[in-house]
Amino acid sequence: MKSKWLFLTIAPCDAAEPWQLGFQDAATPMMQGIIDLHHDIFFFLILILVFVSRILVRALWHFHYKKNPIPQRIVHGTTIEILRTIFPSIIPMFIAIPSFALLYSMDEVVVDPAITIKAIGHQWYRTYEYSDYNSSDEQSLTFDSYTIPEDDLELGQSRLLEVDNRVLVPAKSHIRIIVTPADVPHSWAVPSLGVKCDAVPGRLNQISISVQREGVYYGQCSEICGTNHAFTPIVVEAVPSKDYGSRVSNQLIPQTTGEASAEMKE
Amino acid sequence: MVNNTQTLAEQYYVKDEQVKTDEVAKPVEVKDVEKPKEAPSQEAVVEKIVEETTPIAPAVAAEKSSEVAPPAEASTEEPSSGSVEEENSEDQDAAEETPEIKLETAPADFRFPTTNQTRHCFTRYVEYHRCIATKGEDAPECDRFAKYYRSLCPGEWIDRWNEQRENGTFPGPL
Repeated sequence: MKSKWLFLTIAPCDAAEPWQLGFQDAATPMMQGIIDLHHDIFFFLILILVFVSRILVRALWHFHYKKNPIPQRIVHGTTIEILRTIFPSIIPMFIAIPSFALLYSMDEVVVDPAITIKAIGHQWYRTYEYSDYNSSDEQSLTFDSYTIPEDDLELGQSRLLEVDNRVLVPAKSHIRIIVTPADVPHSWAVPSLGVKCDAVPGRLNQISISVQREGVYYGQCSEICGTNHAFTPIVVEAVPSKDYGSRVSNQLIPQTTGEASAEMKE
Repeated sequence: MVNNTQTLAEQYYVKDEQVKTDEVAKPVEVKDVEKPKEAPSQEAVVEKIVEETTPIAPAVAAEKSSEVAPPAEASTEEPSSGSVEEENSEDQDAAEETPEIKLETAPADFRFPTTNQTRHCFTRYVEYHRCIATKGEDAPECDRFAKYYRSLCPGEWIDRWNEQRENGTFPGPL
């Protein structure tokens, strides 16, 4: 196999690619909204850019000191003053209204989530707790997620993005993620899911996502959290909720017997 | 303003006789049905799913320990294969006694509509222990509060609070 084509194996994943300029593909309505807002705003941005550069170039051209040493001395024009006051105040409104609509719709949680996952940042790994199925304070499905060192990478895995234990979530259901660190501020960010939430010590931040398609989503820590900040990636694996149920209960069995809690930790 | 409206504290006060509130956790299946209307990206999404199935496979294999047979695989094999494998999978199922998990968790609470859920977790913890104090150690009415706070609070916090309660230094109103 030609190794130069190996990048194709990661192409279907929702991870950053070399020289990427655009967004990663959206997997949640939130990210779709962000991309749409970006395109909406870019419409006005290009419009203003073209208009302003045209005025600038025209002014430089027509009022060149050799060509036109004594320019016209207009000091007042009511029509143009009205126009250049009204339009610049309308355009920000066209940008602000969809922007605020998106902002508040992302913030608010309208429906009851199906599962709660606690993403706890550590220096420098992440711990995930699935405690919806507990019947006591002690037992809970908890595992650590470490990055895979460069030497242990297998062909097709992304450098500094792959972890040993991925976060398993059901697709097409509402998920609450509680983000908090145990030591210094961290951040939990996955671009494809449109999520970037800072983890502040002593505080629980909630984000609610609903992954619309099965897949593996990659993200990285987005808050400088120490030396190994670059080595604390996030990998979210969305599976159909049927498979989620069976895989979580498979993990719960060793927990209830208690013998394999060490196995989860490794 | 008429004075007979209850304050939040009164509404959530654990009474001697437990009144059923309407915020009992609903099953999740309902949400799957209502999903399409809020997913504008779905048509775009469907074509993506096809090409995504391959890269997951190695991780799946690695995560599952060898002695625990995944029931999902077993069920797909059953219709195509002979009776021998069917028996095998049944034996395995019986041996495992897979606990059927219900997808439910602490509901969205109108008292805590913001991103900051710190007090949500704390309040649920306090509510549970006040419930226990009123109704006795293993009252079934308190179970849902226990589920809520376990879903919301990090294990480390719960351990710390449990310790504080034993020492009598817990800062909350118990």
